[in-house]
Amino acid sequence: MAEKRLAIWVVVEQNQGKLASVSIEVLGQAARLVETASALSGGVAVVLLGDQVGDLAEELSAYGVDQVYWVDDPRLKHYQNDSYSGVLQRLVEREKPDILLFGATGAGEELAPTLAARLSTGLAAHCTGLDVNADGQLVMKVPAFGGRVLGEIFCPNTRPQMASIKPGTFTVPQRRAGRGEIVREDASSLLLDTDIRLTTVDVLQSEPLGLPLEKADVVIAGGYGMGSKKNWGLLEQLAAELQGAVGCTRPALDEGWTAGEHTMIGTSGKTVRPKVYLGCGISGAAHHAAGIKDSGVIINVNRDALAPAHAYSDYCVTADAKKVVEALLEEIRRTKNEKRGR
Amino acid sequence: MEIAVLLKPVPDPAQYDKIQIDPATGILVREGLKTVINPEDKHALEAALQLKEQYGGRVALIGMAPASAVETFREGLAMGAEEAFLCSDRAFAGADSLATSRVLAAAVKKAGPFDLVLSGSTSADGGTAHVPSQVGELLGFAHLTHVIQFEIGSDGLASVRTKMENGYRESRGRLPLVLGIRRELNTPRYISLMGIMAAQGKPVHVWSLDDLGLDKGKVGLAGSPTQPGKLYQPDMKRKGEVLQGEAWEVAQRLVGIFRSTGILG
Amino acid sequence: MPELKFSEAQEMLRKVVREFVEKEVVPIAHRIDVENECPVDVFKKMGTLGFAGVFVPQEYGGAGMGLTERAIILEEISRHAAGFAMILMTHHLGVEAILSYGTEEQKRKYLPDLASGRKIGGLAVTEPSGGSDVGGQQTSAEFKDGRWVLNGRKCFITNSSNADVTVVTARTGEDAKGRPAFGAFILEAGTPGFAPGREENKFGLRGSGTGDLLLNDCEVGEEALLGAQGNGAKLALATIAKVGRTGMSAISVGILRGCLEEGVKFAKERILYGKPIAKLQAIQLEIAQNRVDYEAARLLTYQAIGLKESGANCDAEIAAAKYFSTEAAVRSAKRTIDLMGGYGVMNDYPVGRYLRDAMATIPSGGTSHVMQLVIAGQTLA
Ligand SMILES: Cc1cc2nc3c(=O)[nH]c(=O)nc-3n(C[C@H](O)[C@H](O)[C@H](O)COP(=O)(O)OP(=O)(O)OC[C@H]3O[C@@H](n4cnc5c(N)ncnc54)[C@H](O)[C@@H]3O)c2cc1C
Ligand SMILES: Cc1cc2nc3c(=O)[nH]c(=O)nc-3n(C[C@H](O)[C@H](O)[C@H](O)COP(=O)(O)OP(=O)(O)OC[C@H]3O[C@@H](n4cnc5c(N)ncnc54)[C@H](O)[C@@H]3O)c2cc1C
Ligand SMILES: Cc1cc2nc3c(=O)[nH]c(=O)nc-3n(C[C@H](O)[C@H](O)[C@H](O)COP(=O)(O)OP(=O)(O)OC[C@H]3O[C@@H](n4cnc5c(N)ncnc54)[C@H](O)[C@@H]3O)c2cc1C
Repeated sequence: MAEKRLAIWVVVEQNQGKLASVSIEVLGQAARLVETASALSGGVAVVLLGDQVGDLAEELSAYGVDQVYWVDDPRLKHYQNDSYSGVLQRLVEREKPDILLFGATGAGEELAPTLAARLSTGLAAHCTGLDVNADGQLVMKVPAFGGRVLGEIFCPNTRPQMASIKPGTFTVPQRRAGRGEIVREDASSLLLDTDIRLTTVDVLQSEPLGLPLEKADVVIAGGYGMGSKKNWGLLEQLAAELQGAVGCTRPALDEGWTAGEHTMIGTSGKTVRPKVYLGCGISGAAHHAAGIKDSGVIINVNRDALAPAHAYSDYCVTADAKKVVEALLEEIRRTKNEKRGR
Repeated sequence: MEIAVLLKPVPDPAQYDKIQIDPATGILVREGLKTVINPEDKHALEAALQLKEQYGGRVALIGMAPASAVETFREGLAMGAEEAFLCSDRAFAGADSLATSRVLAAAVKKAGPFDLVLSGSTSADGGTAHVPSQVGELLGFAHLTHVIQFEIGSDGLASVRTKMENGYRESRGRLPLVLGIRRELNTPRYISLMGIMAAQGKPVHVWSLDDLGLDKGKVGLAGSPTQPGKLYQPDMKRKGEVLQGEAWEVAQRLVGIFRSTGILG
Repeated sequence: MPELKFSEAQEMLRKVVREFVEKEVVPIAHRIDVENECPVDVFKKMGTLGFAGVFVPQEYGGAGMGLTERAIILEEISRHAAGFAMILMTHHLGVEAILSYGTEEQKRKYLPDLASGRKIGGLAVTEPSGGSDVGGQQTSAEFKDGRWVLNGRKCFITNSSNADVTVVTARTGEDAKGRPAFGAFILEAGTPGFAPGREENKFGLRGSGTGDLLLNDCEVGEEALLGAQGNGAKLALATIAKVGRTGMSAISVGILRGCLEEGVKFAKERILYGKPIAKLQAIQLEIAQNRVDYEAARLLTYQAIGLKESGANCDAEIAAAKYFSTEAAVRSAKRTIDLMGGYGVMNDYPVGRYLRDAMATIPSGGTSHVMQLVIAGQTLA
């Protein structure tokens, strides 16, 4: 069999031996592109950097990947921009992929622009859509103005065409049968000590407690219109009754009413796609709306009939959010009791 | 300490709901929108002013924007920066992040030398979050972005905490550095009346392509590796059925909807 | 006639003040009213930003701006909390008296602390025996052994219990023609024989304390005399016209903007017959009238202040601005309440407070009757 050209590379992210979910989401898009885009020839490769992450290389190879470039070195234990971008730059310059994709995480948002600058090529940020046109060019759809506007971006004259994708933008694909080839690269030729100007001295990551927003079937989102921490408690009760999770807007977060930043929805927070999204006292700024647009049913309660949130809702309630949430709690508890009674 | 702060004038994010795309021309209509300092850049400036208070030195504002943005830079001067360098030239129009970073890096070099370059981590309008890293690369400075905490010792050794998913990363290194600042870092000071008065006399230097000695083919739309295509306005409109009645009536309807979607038994 | 146009620096000032008010004052505006409490900490913060010494030259620790900038500040605060603005407005009365009439020594002694908001100022003229009738003041100051001894009672004095430095007028004797002569004195809080008395319970401009000041054999040195002996009433009246009436006028412009904006917001939110009431013509007429009252008050106010700053003799223009703006604020607040139906009288909405505040702006700095007399007097002269 002739060696397959590897058109699309996905730079995956691992943190302390765990793959970042966004990397798998991006892989899903890469696999979709090579399968559906007739103007694109070649397969998908992933690049995995770390220290003793062989098992992750195995895991990755099951997502429609043709090849895993695996670079293992103690100096790569934690992400660090100088060392990671040094390795990636050398690999990319050697192999010349057409397309290079990143998760737009804290690390990805340093690595991707660093590489784009070093390679003098174009990088599209936070893509919400990726396609290949008839000329074989990547068409990258990116948001601006907090999601109010989407623009197409091309990278016509330089290679690779680079793009980053935010966590939660796409869904996690199924694992597939078959596995890609794992190629262990020689770290010593790809990583030079002189690359490293900064050292990572500590990394602290901990999963927040409770049902993560992005996994909940019901998201009860509250905004500044909830008015107080006390009223916020009602949202938490409602989420508990519905086995859902509570999300928030930035002003509600800033007020200190919420469980923390990991519950913020929008361009600078989470993207969610629950079966039901219920927004309470949220005006519906583009920054927030960008994070919920793929939800199943969207309901908003706002006392302002003209709130922008009503325009993107399936159901609108023009009323005091606190009163509606209280009535809902009562109604749900009543019907639950009725059932139990029967 | 000599500090440059990259300051981007942006349309007021509170008004983004008013932005439209002209259906005939496909061009962005943003008339009547107020221009403000990119919110995170105020946090960068605050950090710079605190360092100046600690170590002495000067804070210079550097930006690429149309000449009409002078007022926005004046606000940064009122907050406490010493002078501003505004890169303004027709040739800069339509720049992507790399072409923008080339202009900013050239201006930092020309206005420098600086020990530290601070920027926001993400702009409110374009919002690529590329510029801090790309300016760092073009200057040959080490760089970190999404900075939520940092300290610089008098020996020039910096400890920097950057935000990661569900946590943070702590890095250490020497100046010079470029740091992309997040809003969690600090609370920007209010501009004082004395600051407004003082700002009236502070210099704003306007630099053209020639002043920066850049190649026309490396800046603006022509020098941008990414090229824009069509603009869209995401169509999020849904049916918008209005649920009327008293709270209890609305609640009954909502419970019905929850049932039909299967989230409530 | 040129348009009313603010300079770039003034526009920046407005933006800065608005941001401050939205962050620091809006969240406590309702509480200031309900609890009738002066948020001293926020006042001090405003002091560090230069609000307290906005028109004081920089050499005395001020911002070195003028009365227009001061009016911008008062308007922006009053948009949300006129009662709080009243504290600052009155503080400026004390500041202005010392700035315009103080000796170099007095200015150096008092202005830096007042301009930076470390200390709060006030001006006490009104007495039970008359506010409008300035000549009817009974408080006396007797010169004995090189010291002044003051006795009497002032009433309706803003900042009476908060002020650190109050300029107090008192009768010092009679002039050559046998008419009462007055002096003005700088009194520091804590001076023996000088103390706040009863605190009034006002229905409007709450948050700003208003009350009595008691003088019982209060003894001060010669250096406490402000301006020339015999010049006290003139000094007080000039200060009240220049800073007091323009200030009340600016406060009213802020209330008017509040009425306009709250009315518009409500009209767009309230749905009747399936659409916002903003679609009803009757409601549109109310909004139009609110707009006209606001615009007219704004023009009169900034015009009068501009004239004053240019050095013109403009007591009538200032009186006209104060008269029109304060009365318009009352009308507009009532109109906005009407527009809101039953909601208008609920304390969930701020407009009821705006009406109470607007009512209280009328006597402060001279009643509407007195303003009309000033206007007529000048017009008929
Ligand atoms: C719809 C749309 C989509 C776009 N998509 C892309 C894209 O995918 N890829 C791409 O490369 N470009 C893109 N751009 C262009 C890009 O947004 C602008 O070129 C911008 O000049 C570059 O940065 P940013 O605003 O994204 O900055 P960011 O990197 O988000 O800004 C971070 C910080 O850098 C500093 N900074 C950025 N710009 C300036 C400036 N002009 N002056 C001073 N400081 C500054 C500020 O401190 C700012 O807080 C897009 C523009 C639009 C309108
Ligand atoms: C760079 C940048 C990034 C941002 N990123 C995000 C992000 O990721 N996520 C995000 O959410 N925001 C983000 N924001 C902020 C965003 O622009 C909006 O300011 C924010 O989403 C508004 O939140 P809100 O709807 O809670 O508040 P508001 O806009 O203040 O709206 C409150 C709403 O509640 C209604 N209301 C008030 N009282 C009641 C009541 N009693 N009952 C019912 N309704 C009531 C009001 O009518 C109003 O519509 C960002 C901003 C910037 C500048
Ligand atoms: C909220 C508030 C704050 C105040 N703060 C201060 C302060 O800090 N310092 C201070 O010195 N004073 C202060 N005052 C007092 C204020 O200056 C007086 O209330 C005002 O001058 C009116 O005086 P008066 O209350 O004694 O009424 P009076 O003078 O007794 O007036 C009673 C009525 O007679 C009318 N009237 C009086 N004279 C005439 C005339 N010649 N022709 C026609 N009608 C006339 C008046 O218009 C009024 O209707 C404050 C008042 C208020 C309400």
